[in-house]
Amino acid sequence: MKKNKPKSNNGWKHDFAINKSLYLLTVPIVVYFIIFCYVPMFGVVMAFQDYKPARGILGSRFVGFKNFATFFGGPNFFTLLRNTFVINALGLFVGFPLTIIFALLLNEIRLKWFKKSVQTISYMPYFVSMVVIAGLIIEFCSTNGVVTNLAVKLLGIQRENLLQNPKYFWTINLLSDIWQGLGYGSIFFISAITAVPTEQYEAAAIDGAGRWKRCLHVTLPGIMPAIVTMLILRCGTMMSVGGDKILLLYNSSIYETADVISTNVQRMGIENMQYGYATAVGLFNSVVGTTLLVISNTLSKKATDIGIV
Amino acid sequence: MVEKLKPSRVVFNILNYSFMIVFAFLCIIPIWHVTMASLSNPRLLMSASGIIWKPLGEVTFDGYKLVLQTASVLKGYGNTIIYVVWNAVVGTLITVIAGYLVSRKSFKLKNPLMIFILFTMMFSGGLIPSYQVNRALGLINSRWALMIPGIINAFYITMMKSGFEQLPDSYEESAKLDGAGPMTIMFKILAPLVKANIAVIAMFTVVMHWNSWYPASIYLPAARDAWPLQLIMRELLIKNDTATVLIATGDASGVVNYTANLVKYCVVIVGTLPVLMAYPFAQKYFVTGVTLGGVKG
Repeated sequence: MKKNKPKSNNGWKHDFAINKSLYLLTVPIVVYFIIFCYVPMFGVVMAFQDYKPARGILGSRFVGFKNFATFFGGPNFFTLLRNTFVINALGLFVGFPLTIIFALLLNEIRLKWFKKSVQTISYMPYFVSMVVIAGLIIEFCSTNGVVTNLAVKLLGIQRENLLQNPKYFWTINLLSDIWQGLGYGSIFFISAITAVPTEQYEAAAIDGAGRWKRCLHVTLPGIMPAIVTMLILRCGTMMSVGGDKILLLYNSSIYETADVISTNVQRMGIENMQYGYATAVGLFNSVVGTTLLVISNTLSKKATDIGIV
Repeated sequence: MVEKLKPSRVVFNILNYSFMIVFAFLCIIPIWHVTMASLSNPRLLMSASGIIWKPLGEVTFDGYKLVLQTASVLKGYGNTIIYVVWNAVVGTLITVIAGYLVSRKSFKLKNPLMIFILFTMMFSGGLIPSYQVNRALGLINSRWALMIPGIINAFYITMMKSGFEQLPDSYEESAKLDGAGPMTIMFKILAPLVKANIAVIAMFTVVMHWNSWYPASIYLPAARDAWPLQLIMRELLIKNDTATVLIATGDASGVVNYTANLVKYCVVIVGTLPVLMAYPFAQKYFVTGVTLGGVKG
């Protein structure tokens, strides 16, 4: 059978004629993304320049990889890399499993009203602004603060301002992250748990599986896709997370453990106006971040057949 | 059906319930502490240490009175409201339009536009190039720096898109037969059907902008008059610079010293309470938002 040749007016011209107003609405949206997303993407050229705002991108001198060399050869490189890595790894290996455990524990609570109340209360810290949270951390960790008192009494540490001692920053940051994010982070898993079919539990119960066994062999496998999805996303954002909180909490006496790549970019680029250098550091950060996302996505696809990209 | 409880189960239940109570308690304590401190006698407050379980001395609202007289705090509050309302209204509107565009089956630009938008979710120029663009546009120290960049969010557009795509085509087709234009179809017919998605986006936008401080700290370093409340709070809580913030009240410096400490707590309450009062009611939207997106983290 002969197929009808597509009519010539099926082209863009025709589409424009019937969807004129849609095209009109597209214009401002495209303009927005070009100016605020695509132009900055080309702006990474600055990483290879001795960028001077007065001369602009087109007029500034190209210096090749000099900015990168300064960063890699600088005295802070390993400290920054280690801090970024450790702070995020602690969140990934301690904070993240805790949100899952919290969701599982909450699932074991049978009293409806109790469960609902705990859930609502546990979201609360998420809605408090970072500035207020940082303010509270600073107050509680000061020389006479609540947390300091507690740590002196229970752990026998020396009384001091905990945020002035580089030894404690990772712990303070991790614990406050857990406090703020545990409830909210568990929402995703709680809804994944509700989606596990009840028949599976009943079948397991008939087979004689207790609550613990059912949790291990029904619930956990049931929410595995949700866990893996979240894990991949966490790996992808690994390099960028947490910078704004650290900016509020840190001070020059704890840069040794608290300064991460994103805070360094902010300090070098905005405060010290070393634009080329800071862009190079930022570019390094996002390249590593994207690589991590791709690697974790590939690994997960191989191992479990679950991927997000 | 009631299961027979094994002893190990009883122990587990006791531990589990206790843990939940302790954790809920830990979530509330800091806010409780600030609330009680804000109602305390400022002189007693200065020498207090530890958690403040109940107001020290007689309950006083002096701190709140002072907050209401402090020009910079009031201005910050006003600015925050401007930024929140603008971004929630205009931002959500543009997001709805964009979501509508990328969900039109008969629109040839649909897929290219979606790819164009999704690309920005994966790659970004980073802080410094964005800063330079805003600088070139003259946005530094201008209110517009918090009202134009960041007003649309690629992720929210994908959320709107999936909302529109779940609606059957027949709505649009029958409206078209009745002679309705795309604007009428979008706002009068389809938008009311995806109210839930719109509400989720608006809620997230409100909370995000209410609590946001970072963009303002970068783009409005010298424009104190345009600062949102969070930056004023940063001055008070993080930089401990009460003098600059409270100077406009014209109090004798001795009084300021005592009350400054009290005012800090009052400002926290004034700045946090609106969100804390609202979120339990808006909770279901946040839960849907997290599950809908699933993906945002």
